[in-house]
Amino acid sequence: MPGYNFLPAPVWLITALHVLTLTLHFLAMNFLLGGIIIILWGRIGDRWNNPVVKKFIRLFPTVMAVTVTLGVAPLLFLQLVFHRQVYAASIVSGWFWLMIVAAVIASYYLLYATSFSQKASSSTRRWFLVLSLVGLSYVAFVYSSVFSMTERPDLYTALYAGVQSGTIINPNLGDYGLRWLHMIVGAATVGGFFVGLLGRNDESAFKIGKQFFLWGTIANAVLGIAYLLTLGDILRPFMRSAGIWLLTAGIVLAFASLHFFFRRRFVISGGMVLVTMLMMVLSRHYVRLLNLAPHYDPATMPIQPQWSVFALFLISFLAALAVVWYMLRLYFRGKRVPA
Amino acid sequence: MNYPFWDVGMGYGWLMAIISVFHVFLSHFAIGGGLYLVVSEQYARHRGDFFRLQFLERVSKFFVLATLVAGALTGVGIWFIIGLLNPAATEVLIHNFVWGWATEWTFFVVEILAAILYLYGWKSMTARNHLILGWIYFVAAWLSLFIINGIITFMLTPGEWLTTGNFWDGFFNPTFWPSLVFRTGVCVMLAGIFTAMIASRLKPDNEKASLVRYNAWWGLAGLALMVPSLYWYWQTIPSGITTRAMEAMPTPITSILLAFWLAAGLILLLILFGLILPRRMTFAAGIALTALALVWFGEFEWFRESVRKPYVISGYMYGNGVELAEIEAYKTDGLLAHMPYRTGNDGADLFRRGCRSCHTINGYKPLKPAFDGTDPEFIGGMLGGANVIKGNMPAFCGTEREMKLLAEYIYEQVDHRHLSEIYSLTGVALGEKVYEVRCGRCHEIGGYGDKSATLVGQDEDYYNLVLDMAGDLAPEMPAFTGDDTERAALIKYLLSLKTEDGGA
Repeated sequence: MPGYNFLPAPVWLITALHVLTLTLHFLAMNFLLGGIIIILWGRIGDRWNNPVVKKFIRLFPTVMAVTVTLGVAPLLFLQLVFHRQVYAASIVSGWFWLMIVAAVIASYYLLYATSFSQKASSSTRRWFLVLSLVGLSYVAFVYSSVFSMTERPDLYTALYAGVQSGTIINPNLGDYGLRWLHMIVGAATVGGFFVGLLGRNDESAFKIGKQFFLWGTIANAVLGIAYLLTLGDILRPFMRSAGIWLLTAGIVLAFASLHFFFRRRFVISGGMVLVTMLMMVLSRHYVRLLNLAPHYDPATMPIQPQWSVFALFLISFLAALAVVWYMLRLYFRGKRVPA
Repeated sequence: MNYPFWDVGMGYGWLMAIISVFHVFLSHFAIGGGLYLVVSEQYARHRGDFFRLQFLERVSKFFVLATLVAGALTGVGIWFIIGLLNPAATEVLIHNFVWGWATEWTFFVVEILAAILYLYGWKSMTARNHLILGWIYFVAAWLSLFIINGIITFMLTPGEWLTTGNFWDGFFNPTFWPSLVFRTGVCVMLAGIFTAMIASRLKPDNEKASLVRYNAWWGLAGLALMVPSLYWYWQTIPSGITTRAMEAMPTPITSILLAFWLAAGLILLLILFGLILPRRMTFAAGIALTALALVWFGEFEWFRESVRKPYVISGYMYGNGVELAEIEAYKTDGLLAHMPYRTGNDGADLFRRGCRSCHTINGYKPLKPAFDGTDPEFIGGMLGGANVIKGNMPAFCGTEREMKLLAEYIYEQVDHRHLSEIYSLTGVALGEKVYEVRCGRCHEIGGYGDKSATLVGQDEDYYNLVLDMAGDLAPEMPAFTGDDTERAALIKYLLSLKTEDGGA
């Protein structure tokens, strides 16, 4: 009978797709999470009537859709390569894992409610946003917990031996608390970039974006270094791997992006933000490989390529990009329907 | 065996159903509704029907809120839940079909964006461009169905894939096409019926009548695709599967056969309230129609899940995650030796692996009523013949020692009192209960595995002889291990069957 313990393409190809789609997912997620944080806690005068805030609120449901859609692919590719670890860790936290879906649905509807309730009181709209932020932060927290647990097979094996009902959250908070904070602060930072971008013609909005982008980058650098120091046994091998170079490049690019942002060179700055995130995701991938090295090496998985189906995927992917571009063009160049 | 087992308090079937019921209804509506919106918009624009255009704009808002959020995310939910409930089967589907899933994802990206732009574009786009978006949405959504249909049908009829392992053999499996036509019909039917329900809230004038009539035609068109394709689907399922299902799972099978009558009822209601009396299509009638349609489709999904038993992937992997290819290794080495996740209680671990995917001790599909008042030897005997109990369970594939461990574990959880005490029964009534517990699981009188033809009309000596040699009659049959009271009551019951028969 046919087996299933194989990869249908080389590891590098699957990893590349995982890293690319995860980076795009993070970008969309940062717009969303960062945007909500800044709207709620940024010093914005006449908050709910501010044109930049209005733009964000109008875009939130769409960006949520983009975030979810772009989140599917990296999880699929991650499960493909790290199947044993991802399923096992998610089963140990089964209920928390499953509740991610409920939290995302609730947050999604709350964002629609915020977007469609322009006549509602500011307090109502604030609550909608606060609750959606709680939902999204929960999702980020459980992801951080479960995915850090995937790198600790001994931990989830021991936890499962004690409790089988899927009611355990990763107790090793030192492993992922900083990682989660890094993620949330990172979102506020990149959110600052987007506020500056959308508010480029509004000096006060640009200033708020600039503050979040600048101080967020500094705070995130500190958090990231603190997280790095919690890596323990793998810190030394990480310092000798390509991961450290990618991380360094990421940090340099993050600060360089600030420079261009202050000069309102948004394309260059945004490109740097994107590459920074790509570097961070790649560094993170190295950390995962190093943590799992004593237990599992993806390179040992047998490869049984399915090139014909991959070609179908590739064609569909390129066609989808073309259709997306075409649809956006239709939408933004479209003319009003005569009444 | 390679994963921990999520020992959640409720039945796996319920957990799966709670999420998937929502998803299948919404996801099919997402496709049919897309077609309905764009075709109807084209029709309305052609006729300059502003009333209908306004209606369609309202529908599209409801459509996006329902399908993009709850519809799409419950789809993610199914992915999450199958990974928790049956990670091994999920792994098979992902490793073999990942490029299929990834291709589907590209359609999903297009679908989501098209739906959003379509909703926001009602007032800001030209008619032509708006319609193009609508068509792009529908094509992408239907292509998503095309891909997912290949993977879902693979689970019931993997076909040549079982020997070749080739993606395309598994994808274009024997039930692929009938299922695709059927599901396309479902999409169209649900679009007509959901929109008829929405239209039912309009005030009863000519415009409502025209709209309801139009929507009813959609419902009827969907049903016209569904009814013959369901028959086609049934014909393409290998007869071994359908025969076993007919014998072992009469409820879902009967329900799917009855579904043809349900379809007839739906057709009648659509003709009556949709075509003949469209102004009388009240909201209650709309709800009733929708409920009937959902029951009809729900029965199909229930049937599809049930008919596959005892497999999760027919001929490849059992519902409890045991791969057929590994059975010999499990029998030789034992299941425990292949379990990396142990809890220190071997009996409980074996229970989770062997039984817990479908049964609980005292909740969903409970084992307690089946084994209350029995003994470990009997339980072990039943485990040994699990594959012949109604024909829809996998065989226990561990070692003899593991079977004993499992039997003892189950025995610890059940009621140890005598059957007569548990149920307060004596005489023939007790005998009937003894028959139900010790014989009736495999030999239902007038049902599955019925042996009444050879049992009825015999004398006491014959029954004693049968009970003495029960353990030798078939390898899967347990010995009779009840005490003398149970034996006497059982024989009384069997003799009473003789009396009833003789009196007939």
